[in-house]
Amino acid sequence: MKNLHFRDFFKNYLYDLEDFITIYDNSLHVFNYLKLNKLSDTEIILTMEKFIVTIDGINLKIKQMTKQELLINGKIMKVEFKYE
Amino acid sequence: MNKEKIVWLKINSSSYYNILVKLNDIGITLYDNKKEKDYILIKTKYSDYKKIKKYLVSYNTTIYDETGLDKLKNILKKYQVFTIGIILSIFILFLANNIIFKIEVKSANKNIRNLILEQLKENGLKTLSLKKSHKQIEVIVNKILDNNKDTLEWLEIKYDGLIMIVNVTEKTPTKNELEYAHCDIVASTDAKISSLNIYRGVALKEINDYVLKGEVILSGDILYNEEVKNTVCASGEVYGDVWYKVSVTVPLNETYTYYTGKNRYNLNVVFNENKYKIFKSRIDKSKEEEINLYKLNDFEINLVKEKEYIEKTRELTETEAYTKGVKLAEEKVKLTLDKDEKILLKKVLKNEANDSTIYLEIFIVTKENIGKLKVVEEEIPNGVESNNESVQ
Repeated sequence: MKNLHFRDFFKNYLYDLEDFITIYDNSLHVFNYLKLNKLSDTEIILTMEKFIVTIDGINLKIKQMTKQELLINGKIMKVEFKYE
Repeated sequence: MNKEKIVWLKINSSSYYNILVKLNDIGITLYDNKKEKDYILIKTKYSDYKKIKKYLVSYNTTIYDETGLDKLKNILKKYQVFTIGIILSIFILFLANNIIFKIEVKSANKNIRNLILEQLKENGLKTLSLKKSHKQIEVIVNKILDNNKDTLEWLEIKYDGLIMIVNVTEKTPTKNELEYAHCDIVASTDAKISSLNIYRGVALKEINDYVLKGEVILSGDILYNEEVKNTVCASGEVYGDVWYKVSVTVPLNETYTYYTGKNRYNLNVVFNENKYKIFKSRIDKSKEEEINLYKLNDFEINLVKEKEYIEKTRELTETEAYTKGVKLAEEKVKLTLDKDEKILLKKVLKNEANDSTIYLEIFIVTKENIGKLKVVEEEIPNGVESNNESVQ
């Protein structure tokens, strides 16, 4: 029988556990990051739960920031995921 | 809900990225930020400002600006004198525009002046009271004129800045009120006298006598041995039975208004007696009912209930058309009657039904005041102008 993952689904709905990254025109939205490792105008490195994400670009800036979310503005050239 | 205060902070540092990493480390929420040459501006919560002050002691952090209501409060506080000045000016302007500081009654007669002032006071117009709109003024003027029919001929109220000017014309006594005039009471129409009250003069007719139009009922000549000894202005009330023959044609098809039950609400603004609807009416034919929501002098906001209706046609039965015809005839006669006059009898003389109409001829008897004053010109003293006739 197929497992429907009801428990995980509701847990995630209630506690927002899943992380995700959304890329728009000249901006990038990161949800549920753990740590901001590096920040410069050309490179931003973030630690997520299961991987490390490196964002390369030009004129990168953090527009909005909370403990859970980041909104990065600038010209995004490359997004790299590194699984540990 | 108690929303937390949001502030713009100024952090004196040129290392933008370092600062942001440090702010991230201490868990600051950042709504917005701007990088300037020697400092960084960040938009954050007030509680985060305290956190920054506590943890980032090496940076000089100050509140640069506030947002929302706090910003408005600060501006008002900063320009306190100016703000109070503006509010006071608006208040004074409002007073100057809407308060009556003086009432001037333009009449040489002191009694009339006092009467007008008293009547105005009763209607809420006195010194230091709010001005009324033109519509209200019109109602007040009519009310005062109605209450003082015998003394006031004409009344006008207008504003001249802070002063309310009342122009008034006294009623000049008419000839029938002059005791020395010589006059008779004559019949205004053919009638049968039903009641006779004599105040002055000699009755030439009695109750139940038939009179023709213009015939003298009360004479101003005081006779003794068939010789005129004195003349007076005859005065009295003469009621008589007057008869009418009224013809009415009633169509058998009647158009009536049928309300569909569909209602829509709208708002209208009335300014300077002009009405403007705020929303477009979505009903073609509607009867409107207004409920006043706000009113200040000539400015009004009303809630309008638009009740949709359609016009329908129905065929009347002969009985219905007959009843309607009699009612119409009665209304036609009633238009000529005064308050104390009434219909005594009605009788249908002719009732003819055609294909689409019904024709009625109705005989109606009314009780009416038939006495009309007629001035006998030779008897009017020199210097008194007169008309030939005046109705009592």
